Amino acid sequence: MLKPILLVEDNPHDLELTLVALERSQLANEVIVLRDGAEALDYLFRRGAHKDRGEGNPAVLLLDLKLPKVDGLEVLEAVRNAEPLRSMPVVMLTSSREEPDLQRAYGLGVNAYVVKPVEFKDFVAAISDLGIFWAVLNEPPPGSARLARRRTPRSGGDEQ
Amino acid sequence: MYPSERAAALASASEVCAREPIHIPGSIQPHGFLLVFEASDLKVIQASENVADLLGVEVAGLLGRHFDELLEDAARLRGKLDSLASEDRNPFHLADVTFRVGDPGPAFALMVHRHDGVLITEFEAVDDGTAAYLDLYPLVRTFVTRLQETPTAELLCQLAVTEVKRMTGFGRVNAYRFDALGNGVVIAEDADPGYPRYLGLHFPASDIPQQARALYCANRIRVIGDADYRPSPILPPLNPVSGQPLDLSYAALRSVSPVHVQYMKNMGTRASMSISVVVDGALWGLISCHDAAPQRVGFQTRTACEMLGRILSLQIEAKETHANADRRLKLREHIVQMLSLMADRERGSVAEGLLAAPDVLLGFARASGAAIVLANRCELIGETPPREAVEALVRWLAEREVGEEFHTHNVGRDIAELTELSRYAGGLLAVSLSELHSHYLIWFRPELVRTVNWAGKPEKHLGQGGALNPRHSFESWQETVFGQSLGWDRLEIDSALELRNAVLGIVLRKAEELAQLAGELKKSNRELEAFSYSVSHDLRAPLRHIAGYAELLGEVEGGRLTDSGMRFLANISESARFAGTLVDNLLSFSQMGRAALHLSDVNLPALVDSIRQEMLPDYQGRTVEWHVQPLPILIADAAFIHLALRNLLSNAIKYSRTRDVAVIEVGAEEHPDEHWVYVRDNGVGFDMEYAGKLFGVFQRMHRMEEFEGTGIGLASVRRIIERHDGRVWAESRPDQGATFYFALPKRIHARVSR
Repeated sequence: MLKPILLVEDNPHDLELTLVALERSQLANEVIVLRDGAEALDYLFRRGAHKDRGEGNPAVLLLDLKLPKVDGLEVLEAVRNAEPLRSMPVVMLTSSREEPDLQRAYGLGVNAYVVKPVEFKDFVAAISDLGIFWAVLNEPPPGSARLARRRTPRSGGDEQ
Repeated sequence: MYPSERAAALASASEVCAREPIHIPGSIQPHGFLLVFEASDLKVIQASENVADLLGVEVAGLLGRHFDELLEDAARLRGKLDSLASEDRNPFHLADVTFRVGDPGPAFALMVHRHDGVLITEFEAVDDGTAAYLDLYPLVRTFVTRLQETPTAELLCQLAVTEVKRMTGFGRVNAYRFDALGNGVVIAEDADPGYPRYLGLHFPASDIPQQARALYCANRIRVIGDADYRPSPILPPLNPVSGQPLDLSYAALRSVSPVHVQYMKNMGTRASMSISVVVDGALWGLISCHDAAPQRVGFQTRTACEMLGRILSLQIEAKETHANADRRLKLREHIVQMLSLMADRERGSVAEGLLAAPDVLLGFARASGAAIVLANRCELIGETPPREAVEALVRWLAEREVGEEFHTHNVGRDIAELTELSRYAGGLLAVSLSELHSHYLIWFRPELVRTVNWAGKPEKHLGQGGALNPRHSFESWQETVFGQSLGWDRLEIDSALELRNAVLGIVLRKAEELAQLAGELKKSNRELEAFSYSVSHDLRAPLRHIAGYAELLGEVEGGRLTDSGMRFLANISESARFAGTLVDNLLSFSQMGRAALHLSDVNLPALVDSIRQEMLPDYQGRTVEWHVQPLPILIADAAFIHLALRNLLSNAIKYSRTRDVAVIEVGAEEHPDEHWVYVRDNGVGFDMEYAGKLFGVFQRMHRMEEFEGTGIGLASVRRIIERHDGRVWAESRPDQGATFYFALPKRIHARVSR
């Protein structure tokens, strides 16, 4: 059974487009959608509405940077500070490359980021790359040396 | 002697002449005699030797005797003596007196003055007092009445000269006026036939040594009745109480320096009288009377002449004060005019203000040219030396640390180091506008070739034994003076300094305003950056959605759309994509303004290579000839320079795509302070008329169908280069290709690197 992909996105349009993109990447993983940072933390820490969910961490966390209540950075920080979650890959979704918070995201140990491209095809390509890398190829436990040499995810996807 | 030795000997003799103690000659002119009384006990302590001739008593017979013993009616005289104003040292006609000693003889006119702790009494033949009332006072009265109607100093002097001649009967009366250097020019003359005329002639300053000028100021009238006199010595030579020689500064009978006697003889003059014209405490001029025969000038006449001289002095002073006030007012008006232009915030600066009214700037200093040297600009107005010469002058002024002001009417002499300069200007006046920087306002006056008519060559001669002989020739001698301009007078210099101080005030205020403005600008810039950032950022999301849904719509429902529908959909996608690019470029443009520069060596050749590789897809299938010339290694922010160069190269590739063979050249030029880098193409070019707009945000030179673009590329280039304190510009002709330049200073200012 594949681990699910956790997608945290508040904007309904972005959410829909991202889901389409994930669908097109033909990943077999289940996609769990959460709509804000607080809900994401509840899910990850199995509390609140999600206290009864099954055990296990998602294959990858796709995290929008700007989220209501608890923003992406705070979620990232919480993940990196929690022993059982620490090694989970986190990919930040951002609206632009110039985002000042990006630096902080790196500081907090994000694995990659995707600038949501305006061009839909590019977006599909970026999401699909990410999904394949993190959800499929990154199956073995994180930290494995083999992984570090693998191809890096396509980041800053709007660079042409 | 060699000329230089001769000049040195002459100079040293002149110096000796200037040191001659003419106020203590130790003798008097013999047409009167002199007694010196100790001031408190009124006993005779010194007397002139000629008492023996004029009074019939030897000096020895007078020494130690009391005032009362010597004179009739002494008690009354002493009463008058006590009422003498103690501060007035001019000889005062006490009374006509007769002596109780010596030969019974005519009465003497007694003139007294106190000086240096003694009472000096001078005795001359009695004047006819009635004659004075009948002749002199009406003359003086007429003179005074006419003075008020006379407009200029020259005409006043003419009037005075005529009156003095009538009152005294001297053969020739001249009025001199002294210039700033002490040379005298004859401005009025009245002379009998047969006398040489001096009107318009110059007399060199050396004719009247400094100490003589001082005496002329102190003692306003001076008579030498007969140059051929035998001086009568004062006995004993030293005051027995003080041990000092007698100070005859104020005595009418004071003996004359032998040099002056010789001067008079050379001039063919037997008798002379001088009336001082003193304006504002300085010797302004002289009324000088000469006669070929000895003249006796009675004290009545002397007093009347002295009075006339004083009235003349006051009148001239009033007129000059008035004229000066008028000029000062005009100069002030000019200053105010210039200041208001400078202070005008619309125009913005000192230089702009001054340039706005060149006529005022020049007219203010009666100059034909001016230079405004401020910070990195040097503005030339009117007739000035060429820019390089002015710049050399500025360096000269700065090195000399000339202070607030420097002026010369003889550039060739005073700024001999700059040989070029005197070819363009005779004189200049410079005021410094900063204590720290070489900021100056400079006015230039042209050379004024003028002819000076000297009364004889202005040279003295050395006689036997190296003593100074006054010149012999008073024949008119013409000198042509080259290389000099009109002199700068005190009023002009003062006004220039006044302007300077006001300008400094403005500069200071402007600096404060600028600092404040800069602060506000910085703040509003920050706000603007933040605003544009968030707008662009927030715009991106909906653009993404439009593009995404249009794409999806095309995929899902494409089959049910007409061709037009599909085209509309494609346009929607295309527009959204373009708007996205626009937003992205704007974001990175704003980033360029904010991000700190990280300076390092930038290897330009490598950079160009990598950009060519990077852009390969853009010109695949085209023929592009690359000419990459040797390029320097710059010190700059590598990422930014990469971006700038990529923009320039991408433009070159884009705008040359209509050419069968595109030729793109990248090169560099080394200049003293800058590296220039250029990118040249053989593309469509642009009209230089729009060159000013080229580097502005959203400025485009071509229609979208011809050449796509967001109009941010060149604006980014400019922003990047200007962040490095550099410059950008371009040259082109429509259809003739274009060359884009950027210049980076070799020393990038420290403030850009953090």
